[in-house]
Amino acid sequence: MNLERLPNEEKLSLCRKYYLGGFAFLPFLWLVNVVWFFREAFLKPAYTEQLQIKAYVKRSALGLLLWVAVLTTWITIYQHFRAEWGEVGDYLSFTIPLGIP
Amino acid sequence: MNASDSDEDIYNERSALVRSESPALPSYIPDSDLTPPNGTPTKRLKAGISRRPGPAAADGGGSDPEVEAEEEELTLKYGAKHVIMLFIPVTLCMVVVVATIKSVSFYTEKTDQQLIYTPFTENTSSVGRRLLNSVLNTIIMISVIVVMTIFLVVLYKYRCYKFIHGWLILSSLMLLFWFSFMYLGEVFKTYNLAMDYPTVGVIIWNFGAVGMICIHWKGPLQLQQAYLILISALMALVFIKYLPEWSAWVILGAISVYDLVAVLSPKGPLRMLVETAQERNEPIFPALIYSCECVHCSRSAPINNGSAACLMFVIVSSDPSVSPVSHLCLSQGLCLTLLLLAIFKKALPALPISITFGLVFYFSTDFLVQPFMDNLAAHQFYI
Repeated sequence: MNLERLPNEEKLSLCRKYYLGGFAFLPFLWLVNVVWFFREAFLKPAYTEQLQIKAYVKRSALGLLLWVAVLTTWITIYQHFRAEWGEVGDYLSFTIPLGIP
Repeated sequence: MNASDSDEDIYNERSALVRSESPALPSYIPDSDLTPPNGTPTKRLKAGISRRPGPAAADGGGSDPEVEAEEEELTLKYGAKHVIMLFIPVTLCMVVVVATIKSVSFYTEKTDQQLIYTPFTENTSSVGRRLLNSVLNTIIMISVIVVMTIFLVVLYKYRCYKFIHGWLILSSLMLLFWFSFMYLGEVFKTYNLAMDYPTVGVIIWNFGAVGMICIHWKGPLQLQQAYLILISALMALVFIKYLPEWSAWVILGAISVYDLVAVLSPKGPLRMLVETAQERNEPIFPALIYSCECVHCSRSAPINNGSAACLMFVIVSSDPSVSPVSHLCLSQGLCLTLLLLAIFKKALPALPISITFGLVFYFSTDFLVQPFMDNLAAHQFYI
């Protein structure tokens, strides 16, 4: 799908849908939104819908950063304390490494 | 994996409509007159369709020999560009699969579990018995594929679009979520990493959901291509694990023959499918067609290629000892096929040449080069 060939209203609609979709625990969708619409939002000469697209891209970026922060924190905590948590740690684990932690 | 039918369904319906990652359907390279008049790249025809641009000029004019010659030249140049563009996903797919096979032992550990479509075991004592079993397995697999293809063509002919759509969605769901979940698990086990359920859940959910959106709805082209490559690789890995060796080779050979028949013969299901689509002048389903958009070409129309071809190439090259050789001959086969496409300007099956080259070289390497190398090594002679 080539953004170039879409009329501006459709671009806005697509951007918006991607933005709203990201709220379903989909930071990856927000990432795609940011990368895909970056050029449209910031590097293209201005057009009517651009302001709104810019807003959506910024908000997606914000949401993405938030998710990254949360995930990084959780992963760090988990990796560090997993062994100490004993049973709970094992219960949470998808794969458990062999050997002595 | 005595797994559900949806395994086979996945790649069957995929291959049929979508020609994604299954040995089931050959890449189908149709006519130049499939190009829509305005050359919109988004018109996605069926799976496995390599579309050449060949707008009015190729069909209509041509009375002026000079113009014709120029057209030919442009076409060939365009074709050459597309060889490269199609080369990249196939190579990437192979790279992913070979990398996985080298590192994650799970996919090469032979297990007694087999797909229900290849019920005959290859664990027999005699060579003859083993050969017989692999041929029988092939017959079963190919007949399943043929039946599924015909079923799909019938569905399409009678406009049961909802059914097909639902089937496609179900199978891509399975691929994107279940297989990738398995893959991730094996990678973590290989590298002895701890991973918790919440994180894995988020990863798989994101991977799968964005994949579904890109494939079945709208998404950036490169992301779609990337997903295509990834799920082809995933599918290939499953086959490598669960298809017994000899059966795999015989199936490969049989598939290329089926490819030839299904595409070139007038009653071939694939040909009928494409013709029906042409008549109705409609894009089919959000299929897993690999679409290379040639934006720099004067006649920009996309060339689409099914990833079943990808899958087959990858399976052939999965034996690590002959990977480079296989890769080479598969690419040569691909080039030749695309060249033929430029010359003949009609629908062509993409698999046969490549697979024939691949098979010939694989087996000759096995029989000729290996003993040679062994002998050299035994005599401590290094070249």
